[in-house]
Amino acid sequence: MIEIIQLIMDSPFLQRALLAAVLIAVVAAASGTFLVFRGLSFMAAGVAHAALGGTALGIFLQDSGLVPWFNPILGALLFSVLVAAFTGYAGESGLTQKMEVAVGVSFALSMSIAVFLMYYIPPYRVPQIWGYLIGDILLLNNIDIIMLASTAVLLGFITLMFNKEFVYVSVDMEGSIAHGMNARAYHYLMLIVSALAIALATKAVGAILVYAIMVAPAAASNELVKSVRGVIFSVFLIALVSELVGLTTSFVVFVSPSAIAGILAALAYLLALQIKRVRDRVHVEPKAEKTESDEMIDTFKASLVIDQENNHSHDH
Amino acid sequence: MTAEPLLEAQNLAVRYPNGEMALHDVSFKIKSPSFMAIIGPNGSGKSTLIKAFLGLIRPFRGTIKVNGFDSVKNSGKIRKMIRYVPQRDRIELTVPMKVKDIVLMGRLLKKLPPRFASSKDIKISRDALEQVDMVDLWNRPFPELSGGQRQRVLVARALASDGSILVLDEPLSGTDVESQDLIVEALDKYHKENDVSIIMVTHDLNPIHTLVEEVLLLKNTVIGIGEPCSVMDPELMKKVYGPTARIVEYAGHRYCMTRDSGIDRHD
Repeated sequence: MIEIIQLIMDSPFLQRALLAAVLIAVVAAASGTFLVFRGLSFMAAGVAHAALGGTALGIFLQDSGLVPWFNPILGALLFSVLVAAFTGYAGESGLTQKMEVAVGVSFALSMSIAVFLMYYIPPYRVPQIWGYLIGDILLLNNIDIIMLASTAVLLGFITLMFNKEFVYVSVDMEGSIAHGMNARAYHYLMLIVSALAIALATKAVGAILVYAIMVAPAAASNELVKSVRGVIFSVFLIALVSELVGLTTSFVVFVSPSAIAGILAALAYLLALQIKRVRDRVHVEPKAEKTESDEMIDTFKASLVIDQENNHSHDH
Repeated sequence: MTAEPLLEAQNLAVRYPNGEMALHDVSFKIKSPSFMAIIGPNGSGKSTLIKAFLGLIRPFRGTIKVNGFDSVKNSGKIRKMIRYVPQRDRIELTVPMKVKDIVLMGRLLKKLPPRFASSKDIKISRDALEQVDMVDLWNRPFPELSGGQRQRVLVARALASDGSILVLDEPLSGTDVESQDLIVEALDKYHKENDVSIIMVTHDLNPIHTLVEEVLLLKNTVIGIGEPCSVMDPELMKKVYGPTARIVEYAGHRYCMTRDSGIDRHD
């Protein structure tokens, strides 16, 4: 134990990676949860890939000398917000299907832009674009962490303030508007802030892991946990445990921590589906009332099970 | 003091989002307060009329006013007075809401963020659930309830909320007899004990026939308006529901029977 702490104290890149793991778990809990409630989990993928297209544009503008001050991260943020706004516009009527289509179209468009621009970017900078796809949590610098931390804090604050509104928009958009809530504003707020957080998380850990961490824990928790607060808490736990196990594993075996984290998150979802099936089979008779704290304990136990399974798997 | 009418439409025309005309040449006036029903077959523009006066859809032509407030210019003022029960299938079941969360929504939507529930909110919400005999399911997940139970919870949400006008879109469709009776009784009691108006969209007037004061019969325009028995006219009914519609007199009231009449209808 002391050795591990010693190791962490001595290696700043490890400190940054651990901090990033916590921050990304916060983003997943605050944003992934509501995207899954909204039936919009695909938007996490759309935004992450839009960030890639935006980066390509940023590099192109910078490198061609057209707009030398243009930092590629600005391109990533701009594209993500555009995707969120476009998705929000398509879904103003409250129809999820329309938003899914909008995400699909913008996904395709931004990837096409990225591929198109790659021909005009000097080859030595192309890996920077692909970095957005794979990412490496162990290679983050201080600025990455500061940016990620500030959006995570912003996102966390907004979610604390407006989680009821986000839930109401998802549950009953029409009713919320009729009762006098400005549902349209909250609809856009939720999508755009999520998009900013996802874009920065993408820079940190890559589009594929962002998608896995944003969606799988939320989907898993939503199968099992029966209160909004319980789901948020459980998403945080599952996301954090997956990432920490990923990081730890990468020290024992030569493997990408992101890959392990993504696989674990996905497995958590499969496990949740399985638990739900077993539970449904057992509880044929009306089940007893459960309190919120019971659910939290259950969630915690479920995440421990996942953890144990993982530990078990690296033993051999 | 001359009270403003509850609803006043002048030459109103509204289009569906696909451009088709849903309502045309609609002009009528309903006094306030009232327990009114908007009836008509499927696709006759009942829900569209509600959405128009709630300001959810802009009229294509003409105006509609609620208590004297224009649906376009004063939608904010209208929404302060409104408690709305949408069609049941408009409620998304992917969010793990409990019965209490849904009912409290009626109260919290009228507050400002962060919308914390006070002990008064909780008491009023429990009382509202009591009215529809659902208070024992306070902690039950909403998506696990039956259709009729969910509808009762939504009615309780409206009863718990604040505002002088209750608007219900098809609250009785696809519900069991028990739920129907509970909802109708709760609304009747609430209307009599409080100074509120109730506007209910339904395609079956019979369960609420003896309670409603005014009926608006629609088929893309106003076909009839008035007391329930005067609207239940054989000629009017045939015009709207086709030649199979029959009027039955029972206990001094006239009821309309159509082929699809029945309580366990699911549409």
